[in-house]
This record gives sequence, C-alpha cells and structure tokens, in this order.
Amino acid sequence: MKPDSVSVEERPAGARPSQQPEPRRQPRRLHFSAGLLAPAVVVMAILSVIPFITLIVMSFSRVRLLGGLRLEFAGLDNWARALTDIDLWTSWLLTAIFFVATVGLEMVLGIAIAFSLHKVIRGRSLLLSIILLPMFVAPVIVGLLGRYLTDPTFGLYAHVLQNLGIKEDILGNPTSAFIAVTLMDVWEWTPLVALIALAGFSSVNPSILEAAALDGAGQFKTLRHIVFPAISNVLLVALLIRSMDAVRYFDIITITTNGGPANATKIVPLRLFETAFRFFDLGYAAAIGLMMLIVTILIAQVFVRMLDKKGLTK
Amino acid sequence: MTAPTQTTSPGQTSDGSPLETIKVNPKQDAGIERRMSGPGRIGVWIVVVLAGIWTVVPLLWMLLGSFKSSADVTSASPKWFFAPSLENYAGLFTGANNLGPYIVNSMLAAGISAILSLVLGTLAGYGLARTEMKGKRHLAFWIISTRMAPIAAVILPLFLMFRVAGLIDTLPGLILAYMTFNLPFATWLMQAFFAEIPPSIEESAKVAGCTNWQAFWYVVLPLSKSGLVTTGILCLVFAWNDYAFASTFAGPNSQTLPIAASQLVTQTGVDWGQLTAIGTIVVVPMVIAGLAVRRWLVTGLSLGAVTGE
Repeated sequence: MKPDSVSVEERPAGARPSQQPEPRRQPRRLHFSAGLLAPAVVVMAILSVIPFITLIVMSFSRVRLLGGLRLEFAGLDNWARALTDIDLWTSWLLTAIFFVATVGLEMVLGIAIAFSLHKVIRGRSLLLSIILLPMFVAPVIVGLLGRYLTDPTFGLYAHVLQNLGIKEDILGNPTSAFIAVTLMDVWEWTPLVALIALAGFSSVNPSILEAAALDGAGQFKTLRHIVFPAISNVLLVALLIRSMDAVRYFDIITITTNGGPANATKIVPLRLFETAFRFFDLGYAAAIGLMMLIVTILIAQVFVRMLDKKGLTK
Repeated sequence: MTAPTQTTSPGQTSDGSPLETIKVNPKQDAGIERRMSGPGRIGVWIVVVLAGIWTVVPLLWMLLGSFKSSADVTSASPKWFFAPSLENYAGLFTGANNLGPYIVNSMLAAGISAILSLVLGTLAGYGLARTEMKGKRHLAFWIISTRMAPIAAVILPLFLMFRVAGLIDTLPGLILAYMTFNLPFATWLMQAFFAEIPPSIEESAKVAGCTNWQAFWYVVLPLSKSGLVTTGILCLVFAWNDYAFASTFAGPNSQTLPIAASQLVTQTGVDWGQLTAIGTIVVVPMVIAGLAVRRWLVTGLSLGAVTGE
C-alpha cells in the first residue's frame, strides 16, 4: 500500500476543534465506543439471540406449518428421539470421519504446500495466486464441477481412473462417494491452511536460521526445533478456523450426493435439512441443530484452552 | 479469543501504513534455498507443481467446457482441442431461463449485505478495539461465536422468523440472512485491523483539537483503507457464494446465481455446457476480487489472528 500518511497538524477541512479540551475524557470515550457498538450489537442480537431462543423453544415443541404456524409443547420428545435415533448417530459418526479426514488432510497438505512454496523464490507470488484460487469458488460450483469430473461416461477424472483400472461409478458407490466429497472439500480449503502456514514460515527470523546452520544444525533438526515451535501458534489458528468451518459448511455434499448413496455421505447438517425441509419435522430438526451447536462450542473450547495455555488470548 | 499473535511485531501494522517498521524481505530467504540439497529442491518443486496441477485442472476444465459445443462437452474421450463457441453463454441469456434476473439478485443481495455489514462492522469494530468497558471479552467472544455457529442451526429458527415476518422469498430477507455471518465477521476483522493502529495517533489528534468522531473519521479510517477493502471483499465473496441460505429462503422473486446453477441439474439430465458457463460467471468475478486483496488475505481469513507477509 502507498504510504498515505495523515499528519495530525494538517487536519482536513471540517474537522473543527471541539469546544473544550475535555477534563472528563474517560466517560466520554466509553459513551463514544458504546455508541459505535450499539447499531451492530442490536442487529446481531436480532439475528442471533432471538434465533437462538427460538431454536431452543422449537426443540421442545411440535412445529405445525399447515394452517398457520403453531408451536405445541412436546416436552422432551424431540430430545429423547434425538438421543435414541440410530440413523442420527450414524450421521454423527460420518460427521466425525468427515471432520477428521478433511481437516487432517487439509492441515498436512497445506503445511507441505506452504513449506515448499516458502522455499521457492522465483515465481512464488504467481504460484501462490494460482494455488489460492479454489477458496473463491462457490461451494456449489465445486460440487457441480466434482460431478462433471467424475461422471462415469464423460468425466475427465473418471476417464483417468478408468485408465488406471478403477471402473466403478465414483459417486454411485458409498466408499468412493465419501472419498470424493472429502477430496472436494480438501480441494477447496487446503489453500487456506497453506496461506496461513506460509505466513507462519515467513515470520521465522532468517538470522536465527542462519545461526542454526552455522552451528551445524541439519535441515530436519532446524525444522523440528526452530521452525515448528515458532509457527505452532499460527498452525493452531489455521486448525481452529478449519475445524469450525468443517462443522459449518455442507453445500458441496448437498449438491453432489445429497447424502447418498445409501446415506453414505449423510453428515448431520444434511440430516437436519432433510428432517426440516423434506419431512417438515422442525421440532426434531431444532433438537439436532442444538446438538450441532453444542458440539461446535465444545470444539471451540478445546482450542481456546490450547491457545490460552500458550498465552495467546487476552 | 485469539488476539493478534506474536507474529506481529510491535508497531507493525498489517496495512502497510507508514507505521510499518518490520517487513519480511523475501530476498533474505535466498540463503535457505541455496543451502537446500539437490533432492530437497526437486522435492519442493514436485510438491508445488502437483499442487498447481491439482488446483488448476478442474477450473481450466470448467472454463474450456463453457466454450464447447454440447457434443464436445460430454464427449466420452476428453477433448482438450475443439472449435470454441459462445453458444452456452448465448443460451443462458435467451429464452425462458434468462440468467439476467439471477445476476441482478445476486449482485443486490451480496452487495447490499456486504455494504451494510461493512458500515456497521467498521463502527462496532472500532468501538470494540478502543473500548475499556467491562465485559469487553465476553462481547468479543459472543460476536465471534455468532460467526462460527453451524449454518444449518441458524437457518432453522430464521425460517420460522422469516415466515412470521413475511421475509421468505424477498431480497431484504436474503440480505438479513447474509448479515448473520457477515456482520460478526466484519466487526471482528475490523476490530483486528483497528487494534494494530496505535491509540497514540488518535490521542495526538484529539490533543490537536479533534473530537472522538473526527479523530476516527479523518485520522483512523484513512489508515485502515486496506482493512476496509479486504473486509468488504470477503463479505461480498461469502454472500455471493452462498447456497444454503438462498436455497431455503429464496423463491421465484429472489433467486441467486448458485441457485440457477443447481437448477440446471434436473431429473432428465444436466446441460453441462450451460452449467460450466454459469460456473465461470459465478467464479471469475470472485477470483479477481479475492486476488485483488491477496496481501491482506491471511489477516482476513484468519480473522486477524495471523498477520501475513
């Protein structure tokens, strides 16, 4: 960015001096920042607190949509059902596998790509730009492209796999469909991990590396004892962000397999959607939604603890 | 939650303002590469080249497909060379399924939600960065947790609320829905950008006679231009790319581009030529916008927890 310095002396026209150099600045500043916060906080309260309360109420109700919206108290029915629903627990298991597979692969590949990019000097900027592209692609388009590439009759990737001897319909077979949607998510979000990890690698002080080299530390030792400790905080942030998103997003699976074949990719958000908008069982869906919320909070807590231990939160 | 970590050196601002004192110089790394042995260098290049191919092939295939005839686009043997035609794009803008209204809806819903989120989020982010009120940490945590909430769990209650308020299948409804994730994002991210500007700058402005508001408007905001642009563009990208909210709340009057793309998938088959064309229309503007803020992307996408190159 250009250095557009704003010197305080040449105040722009219109910035008139205030009436009095205030003696009671602290309270005024508090009012000022509270005033700035107010509009956004009000909007966020409407868009998050009210929905949150609604969700809790819904989870204890039978929600009727036909003939006007009505909520009938249903006690713990939805919750009892959620805790005993084998199909739902299968979905949770799939969610856990999907979570570990996507986040794990994205972290490993992202770090490997960042490490390699960091070593590249000529053309690094262009290479980075290319590698970042998938992050900006709408997940729906990622899913549709995945279908196009894996179509058994004309898909480019299906064609390549057929030449390698894998002839099955990729999205038609439970295992390969699960692998395919995992890889689509990995395709889209590995660049994010790579980008964040690259910032970590770049922040390692080169003179420390020089010193390590002079002391005779090899590549591996330098990595293990100097580079990784230095960037572990950054990697933790990448892990946190990807973990939260892995629970949040579900567009790719919705558009690719919509949970199939044979429920092989029906992770929890998809089951929630099906329950709510196909079977219109909104009360039960709300209980599932709250379960998801609780799981998200638990995962976030784990990370906040880890970051706290490193003294990174204020 | 995560504050800017020690990757930021004191006095360094991520927006490249004159306050910036320490910058990682890529040239300094030259010594590292020189030290790498032959096999190491080859390994590095293999990873980079494979990553590049893995990234580019689907996008390139989509771009090529959008210029293929309907026979070529679903040809059993992949066609890399073909006679290009614009028939897919022409098909999208003529006849019953004109894409025009979808594009307008997408632009309005994504654009307005991004602008509103940016304006409110900038004010709130500055307030949050500078306030000394009690419970600041709780407020900050609430804001970030709003953003991290599972989309499916947010859509459900909004669906009931929107039904009662008559907001289903309206653009204002869609804009509000997008603000559920964009407003906390913008607030949190602007807070991170503002936190890197030393308060002493406004203090001296105020000593010189500025009011709080004037110090913010004339001194701090101009220093935060890159933060504003990054935040605005990322909000735009998130909203533009949304499918979950639009597929639930949008109807005939408010459908967006991702919905148009998904509607090309029908029981009877898929027009892959038109689909790759829509894909190109959806993706290209966001890729350009995203790469335009590449320098601040790390800060933006790590919610300010990491400051980049």
